[in-house]
This record gives sequence, C-alpha cells and structure tokens, in this order.
Amino acid sequence: MKPVGRIGAAGLAVYFWAFVIFLFAPLVVLVIFSMNSSATPTLPLSGFSTQWFRQAFSNTELTGALVRSVAIALIAAAIATALGIMASLGLLALRGRALSLALTMLLLPLVVPYICLAVGLLILVQEVGTQPTLAAVVLGHCVIVLPFAILVIMPRLRSLDPAMNEAARDLGASEFAALRLITLPLLMPALVSSGIICFVTSFDEFAIASFLAPSGQPTYPVFLYASARTPALLPEVIAVGAIIIAGSILLVAGAEGGRRWAERRLVGGAG
Amino acid sequence: MAQTTAGPGAPGRGPAKGQVSLVSLTKRFGDFTAVDAIDLEIPPGGFFSLLGPSGCGKTTTLRMIAGFDQPSSGQVLLDGEDIARTPPSRRPVNTVFQSYALFPHLRVFDNVAFGLRRAGVARSEVQRRVGEALDLVQLSELASRKPGQLSGGQQQRVALARALVLAPAVLLLDEPLGALDAKLRRQLQVELKQLQAQVGITFLYVTHDQEEALTMSDRIAVINRGRVEQAATPRDLYEEPANAFVADFLGVSNLMDATVIGPSGSGAEVRLAGNQVVEVARGAVATRGPAKVVIRPERIGIEPADSAGPNRLPGMVTNVVYLGSGLQLAVHLASGSTVTALVPNNAEESASTWTPGLLVTCHLPATALRILAADDAGREPAGDTAGRPPRLA
Repeated sequence: MKPVGRIGAAGLAVYFWAFVIFLFAPLVVLVIFSMNSSATPTLPLSGFSTQWFRQAFSNTELTGALVRSVAIALIAAAIATALGIMASLGLLALRGRALSLALTMLLLPLVVPYICLAVGLLILVQEVGTQPTLAAVVLGHCVIVLPFAILVIMPRLRSLDPAMNEAARDLGASEFAALRLITLPLLMPALVSSGIICFVTSFDEFAIASFLAPSGQPTYPVFLYASARTPALLPEVIAVGAIIIAGSILLVAGAEGGRRWAERRLVGGAG
Repeated sequence: MAQTTAGPGAPGRGPAKGQVSLVSLTKRFGDFTAVDAIDLEIPPGGFFSLLGPSGCGKTTTLRMIAGFDQPSSGQVLLDGEDIARTPPSRRPVNTVFQSYALFPHLRVFDNVAFGLRRAGVARSEVQRRVGEALDLVQLSELASRKPGQLSGGQQQRVALARALVLAPAVLLLDEPLGALDAKLRRQLQVELKQLQAQVGITFLYVTHDQEEALTMSDRIAVINRGRVEQAATPRDLYEEPANAFVADFLGVSNLMDATVIGPSGSGAEVRLAGNQVVEVARGAVATRGPAKVVIRPERIGIEPADSAGPNRLPGMVTNVVYLGSGLQLAVHLASGSTVTALVPNNAEESASTWTPGLLVTCHLPATALRILAADDAGREPAGDTAGRPPRLA
C-alpha cells in the first residue's frame, strides 16, 4: 500500500530536508550572527551579545527608515485593500470579454517589471512638477500591490451567496448598509489576508522606493542597500533582520489565529 | 404570540391587505423574454402558488415583486399602488430565499432582529418581537446559536421568522423547501400552511413541485414559458385543466388525439384513433373537429376482457409498476395509443393479477373524460421539462 518504495521514501526525506535547509539556513545564520559579539559576521562565533540590537535602535537613520517603511506599507496596504474591495465588487458585475479585459488591466502590474514602473513613475512625477516624495512611493506601492488585493478578495466575494446581499436589502437595508453589515464582515478573512500580503510586499519593495524616495528619506530596503557598503553598520542591519524575522513569524501566526477566529465566528462557536 | 407578528390582516388593524396585482408584467433578458406580459390577481390573505417547470419565469416574477429585478414593462400593484420602481428595502414585502440566505456571522436572534433594527425599532421592542417570532417557529431556545449550527429545517424556520417578524403585507417564498429531504418537506408543508392561516399574511409561494402546490395552496397559477396557463383553485386545476400543459403538469395525464364529431347527451361524441367512439361529458364539448381528450389515470376503470358497455376500449397490459399504495399499469389500447391507469393495491391479489400481457377492458367514464380545445392543446409543454413529472400519456 506504500506509494513509494523504501529507497524512494529515503530519497524524498533527503530532498525534503535539503529543501528546508536551503530555505531556512540563511534565516538561521542571520539570527545566530545577530547575537554574536564580533563586529564581523565570520566564524568562529566570538560570544553572545545584544549590543547590536541596542546600537541599531539608537541609530536614528536606521529606525527612521524602518518607521518610514512600516508607515508606507500600512498606508499602501489599507488603500490597496479598499480599492481591491471596490474593484472586486465591480468585477463581479462583469461577464465575458469585459471581465477578462478589466481583469487583465487590473492585474497588469504583476507582470510589468517594477523597475520599469519605477522609471515611468519618476518621469511622471517630475513632469507633473513635483520632486520625488514619500507620497509618490505610496502611490507606486498601491499600484503594485493592488493585484494581490484583488486576487485575494475576489474569489472570496464570488463564493458569497448573492442572496445574502438581497436578503439584507429585502429586510430594509440600503445598498451601503448591506455592504457594511453583511458583505464586509463576510469578507473579513480575505481582507486580513490582503492586508498582510500588501503590507509585506510594500515593506520589501526596493526598485520603486529607490527611485521615488527623496534623498535623505530612504525606506528600509533602500537604507539597507546603501549601508551594505558600510561594513560598520552590518551587525546592526543583521540585528534588525532578526527582529523582522521574529515579527514576520508573529504576523503569520497572528493571521492564522485571526483567520481561525473569524471562521469560528462564521460557523458559530459555543453560545 | 401570533397577534403581533401577524400582518396588517390581523384583527384590529383594519381591512385585510396584501393584494398583489400584476399588470402585463414583462421581463426581458436580452433576446429572451423570461416573463411575458403576465396579468395576475393575487387575493389578500391567502396562500397563492406560482407553479411551473424551471426556467418558466416564476422566480423572475417573484424577484420583480420583491424588487431584485426591474420589470422591462408593466406594473406590480400592491394594494393598488405601483411598487415596480420602489427599492426592495422600502417595499412592505419580505422574502424567504431558496438558500435561506441567513447571515452566517450573526446569531439567530440577530438574524431575526436585522430588519427591525434597520427600521429603527426600539431595543425593548426588538427583544419582544424577535422573541415572539422565534416562538412562532418554535426556535426560542436556539436564539444564541449561529446559523451554521442549525439543521436545514431549523435554518428554514429562522428564514421564515426573519421575514415574518417585519409583518409584511406579502411574504414571498422561493422554493423554500427545495433543499430538504422528502419527509421533512412534507412536515414543513403542513406547518407552513398552518402558519399562513395563523398569521393571515398573503403567502406567495414559488415551486416546481405540483404535489406541494396542490397540498398547500388556496390558489395556483400554472406558469409556462413566461405566461400564465391557468390560475385557479387546486381542485379546479386538477379537475378542470384549461389545456394540455396544465393537465400534464399537474400529475400524470393521458392525452389522446381525437375528433369531436357531434353532440351526445349533455356532452359530445368523440372519435379516438382507431375509430373508437366514446362519449365525453366535460371540457370544450361545444367544439367540433380535431381536439385532445384527457383522462386522469385514477379515473380509468380496468375491467375483465369480456366486459362490455359504452366508453369501453379493449387493451393489453404492457407494464406494471408497483407504487405501494397502488399499481400503475400501462395499457396498450386497440386504438394504438397507450394509457396509464392506477389500480388500488388489494393486498396479495394485485401483485399476481396484474401482469404484462393480460388482456383487459379500459372503462373511460364520460364524466372523467375531458375535451381540450385544439387551440389550447396546440400549446405543447416547453422543451425545458426539468422538475416535471415524466409524461406518460
């Protein structure tokens, strides 16, 4: 009854663990070196230390970039998710050619290299007559994360019974009230997923930010790129990397917990 | 409990309301006419069914009354007022959906309270009326559950309570029992009918199940291809079908080609295929020439092969189906057509008596035969016959 033989199973196990190591080794190395007392990330390890964390957080340039990136990612995620809801509602009403045309347009940023968008946006911003600003970065990020929001929200919206919305209106709710009281709560798991994916994508994005962020106001990826050429900063960068990994794990765990909570609310918990 | 949940028809609230009139109501989707100039009077306070095969336009008609679909032309009059352009949220009608469409994230209580809260009803009043509505459908103890924790029958009752709590002038029900198993469905049919009598609200019920419609309704409109074929009481529809479609749709009917040749007593003399002449007492007895003759299977008498008399045709049993309470026989007549007949199950005798190959005489009583005028009979049932009993004529 075994799908694979003994040798096949062993081979699969080797492949699996090789894959896991390939995936996680860089992260593990990062976390280990973040707590190494030496200023250069080389073996052998010289001793345990938390000094790089302290140093990183007293470096205002670094924390400034970090805060900038978080703020941009939050705003872009919120805007893209809101636009994603509207786009999905609109797409739901379309059929046939109109649907594929609209969908292709909306999802185009997925296949356009970010660097092209970045250059285009830079030219556009200068033609409009303003200098690169953080607002331009937010706009650029909205463009690239909107497809993710739509791809997450639309399937969920499609799976809702259209009679749900009709029932709400039948019972006296306006179109807006039906959206607020019925459709949006039922979309919540997808909205949370969309928010997280958009946030992470924006936080991580380098090309657009490097072109559009004003000099002296880099986002975190732009700051990292610049500091990679300053060896003295490297331990601090590694420490922040470890923190971001921890934050990501918390975010994913929190999202999964939140999703289960939301599903339980839909199915109905005890009482 | 029913007094407050009851609609405007309840005692002390003035004359019964909830009269719906459809005036040449039409709905087109592109080239397709789903509802074709329907005129229909739905009297207040009764149980009215729209019966027809799927795709016949009955659900579209309901949706136009609810306000989810806009008519292409025509009027929807509720107590004399045209509501065709009123948004669904402002119509004094409520709907029980086929899928129930309960809000999964809200408790049963909040589902039922939804409409009252939208209407700005005070908190204590909401509490009281939701309690009464849940009492009415016997679900009070499940008020704090989520819909996902309820059985199909319980969900159906929540949907009913949620719509009834607003005391609508008309309650629209779109095949609300379709998703339930046969036994529960029969039980809920009885309960729904009782509930309707109790609250006195006009129920407009859409179904493709003729048995369901006959059991529950005060009046039925049979719809086919977007038109009303006949609107009448269940008894009249069954006994006096206006045309072949109605006769066929309301249970198994035997339809036979015939020629009306002249008067005979109070009825007409009719020649069936194979030159057999019978007397027909009902239907369009004044017509002459080609027509159709219809008879219900349970009205055909099966007699021994040597039996003689008027309206008797020789035949041979070709098929026997055991139905439990009776047997359904297919009898090939000497005239060339095959009719379906029902004989009661008289215990051990029946099973052995009726076997294929048996020669019999079919008695078609004049009072059970009915002439359908050629005009009516010319309207064959729509190609879309899903949900319709098989045609055995």
